[in-house]
Amino acid sequence: MTATVRPASPLRAGLRLLLIVVSLCLPLSARAANAPAPLQPASALSSPDVALAKLLAEAHTEAAHSCIAPTSRLVAILCAGSIRIGVRDNYPPFAVMNAHGRAGFEIAIAQRIGAMLGVKTTLVTVTPADRIAALAEGRIDVTIATMGDTTLRDSQARFIRPHYYASSTAIIGAKSHPALTLRTIGGRTICVTVGDSSNPGLAEAGARLLLFASPEQLVDELNSGTCALIAQDDTFFARYFTDPRFRSLYSVKFTVDPLPWGMATPIQDGAQLADALALMSEIFHRDGVFLKLAQANALGLSFLTQQRAVWLRRDCNAANGFTNSRCVLPPHRSDMTETRFAGAVDATQNWLAERLGLQVGLEIFKLQPAWDLVREGIRNSLILVFGTLLSTLAFALLIGRALSLQSRLLRWPMRGVVMLLQSTPPVLSLVIAASAANAIFAFSSTLAISAAILALGLINGGNAGQAISEALASLREEQQEPPLIGPPMTETTLYIHALRRSVTQIMSFLINATKATPMASFIGAPELLNALTDSTSFSSDREATYWLMLIFYVLVVLIVVWICGRTRFMLERYLNAA
Amino acid sequence: MPPHLTLGFFSDLLIGMGRDFWMAAMALVMGCSLGAPLAIVWALRGPIRLLPNAIVQLLRAAPTFVVMFFLLNILPHRITIFGNDIVISRQFTVALSLLPYSASVIAESAAEALRHWRVGSHLAALLLLPNLARIYFVLVMSSGSAAAIGVHEGISSILRQADQFQAIGDRLWVFAIGVLGYGLILQTGFIGVQKLRSHLAAQVTRRRRPSDLTESSKINGG
Repeated sequence: MTATVRPASPLRAGLRLLLIVVSLCLPLSARAANAPAPLQPASALSSPDVALAKLLAEAHTEAAHSCIAPTSRLVAILCAGSIRIGVRDNYPPFAVMNAHGRAGFEIAIAQRIGAMLGVKTTLVTVTPADRIAALAEGRIDVTIATMGDTTLRDSQARFIRPHYYASSTAIIGAKSHPALTLRTIGGRTICVTVGDSSNPGLAEAGARLLLFASPEQLVDELNSGTCALIAQDDTFFARYFTDPRFRSLYSVKFTVDPLPWGMATPIQDGAQLADALALMSEIFHRDGVFLKLAQANALGLSFLTQQRAVWLRRDCNAANGFTNSRCVLPPHRSDMTETRFAGAVDATQNWLAERLGLQVGLEIFKLQPAWDLVREGIRNSLILVFGTLLSTLAFALLIGRALSLQSRLLRWPMRGVVMLLQSTPPVLSLVIAASAANAIFAFSSTLAISAAILALGLINGGNAGQAISEALASLREEQQEPPLIGPPMTETTLYIHALRRSVTQIMSFLINATKATPMASFIGAPELLNALTDSTSFSSDREATYWLMLIFYVLVVLIVVWICGRTRFMLERYLNAA
Repeated sequence: MPPHLTLGFFSDLLIGMGRDFWMAAMALVMGCSLGAPLAIVWALRGPIRLLPNAIVQLLRAAPTFVVMFFLLNILPHRITIFGNDIVISRQFTVALSLLPYSASVIAESAAEALRHWRVGSHLAALLLLPNLARIYFVLVMSSGSAAAIGVHEGISSILRQADQFQAIGDRLWVFAIGVLGYGLILQTGFIGVQKLRSHLAAQVTRRRRPSDLTESSKINGG
């Protein structure tokens, strides 16, 4: 949909100009009456109010003469007498549409902007998926739709700074839950949504992430008691905290990843409109307009309170304040450098789409941060598999020996340990190992991997050790049964024979140990499963990501099975020859 | 000193453990449904046997934990079968993730039982029952992984309670209670399986006829 551009009559333009100058002067006089008065810029000419009035006056003059071919988006708006603002319709308390019409913080801002420009405000529904496309296609003039200002989006739309709000990821839990920070989150379970940009940071801090599909599900799980802690954008929780029951039960434990939200105009012809909106935002911050609108919609005020203090400062409350790096916040860094082989991946995707009709999302191979995560995940998974195989073998030999000792004093406690390991679900054993390790050392990925190697080695090594001891016991019994052939075997020879007899069980427990390694992700070990879960915040296609994960692990297990088979064959041949 | 634990925790733990048993039961039933046809084909003679063998090897190589995350992300939350809307719950997803393991071991045990049955060694074939019971208890242990995807089961009850405490000593107490709870039930189960196996084995030995012995030797490659 394009704007209906019609020429504005000089009389109408003049009246509008008068209205704007009066409306801009009103807040100045109102402020003058209040004490304490904010600091004013050194020169009245450099105030944002005067700069905005001048900018709009120029645009009106232009609109009076060139509405047939408007030179800028601002002129086109003035010519049309209407500004089309893209807003959301389902994100309370920011923007909702119900039987009574539209309401919310962003709706109120949109209406203020229309009033300041002296034009009608036409609200157009947009979604996170099409809000930037709607700008580029000229369907809307401005978007005010819960959009975070990131370096990636900066190249797709012209963001207005100062920002009108900022969100961050809030970790919510019961009021009775112990106080937490990002540093003390290691070993705790947090329920998150798949693809959330804060997942990698929380996982890096050692939190166990439980994945859910939607934010609403997180709240359900918090209420049902399945999740003790949930993480989501704090703006999402805003509406829940308006509910007295929710407020009495839960509180924000801490927040991470602040993200400033910005209005945006089109890149092509939106420069003049962007300047006008930036000046308006300065004024709205300084005069507490944003703050009052947020208060009216029961939003968190900390960001806006802090911003008001900034825009009351002499150096910021100026015509060029919105270009001053000491006043405006930079966009959130989200640069996605491409991998060296991104072109080849693109070609593969195109080939699959054209030849086989398959739409496969392979962003994890195209974006460098995602690829780095995957590469590290593969490396850690292989370390984990190798370490677990070694520890399983070592514990098997050790426990097998201990269970075969003649002394009951040593044998019985070991038997108790093995029984304990056998009757504890493996996930619980891993959690216990990780908790004990975290109590002694500070959480790190190396610690998580080491704890997993030890726990998985103990569980499977315990079972294999029992198999060795049973084989040894059967050999001892056979030794005592007549007829005895040759001299009785020494303990060492018996042990070697027992190993040979129990080799099938040892191999099967080694394979079991390999299959159990992905469980280490539950205690924060940064292996491939964890890495791929984190990488879903870069990729829109979860299916391809999880297919790759399944193929990787099945291949790893098959390789271990093959190695075990070969080793057994070679060992048998060697022993037979000996 | 043990930490103060409410009655709510113990009832929560019991309900959660009940869910583990329920998920394991679902996995066992599904495993039987898939494992039985595999076993039948496997028990046949000729090259057709290679097919179930390959399938079982592949199923065995799939780690349960990975399959669980895979299914969680691949399966739709709701499917329509014959016009009926079916919600795929997380519990069902966990049961489904245990299917590769249960189907492969059931196929193996059932194929062996079929071979025994075919040669008239009925009691030896009945050893499938204790095998199924053992598989069931292994499935109960494995269903604890469901805590990783937010299923409200035994392990998640333990973890939630442990998260309420700051001191490692208190948390270890909670873990110890969990280990005891699972240990008691599982060890009792394993002892029961052992008894059933011994009883059936004794029956096999007592009732074994000369023809059985000959055929059994054939089966064992003797």
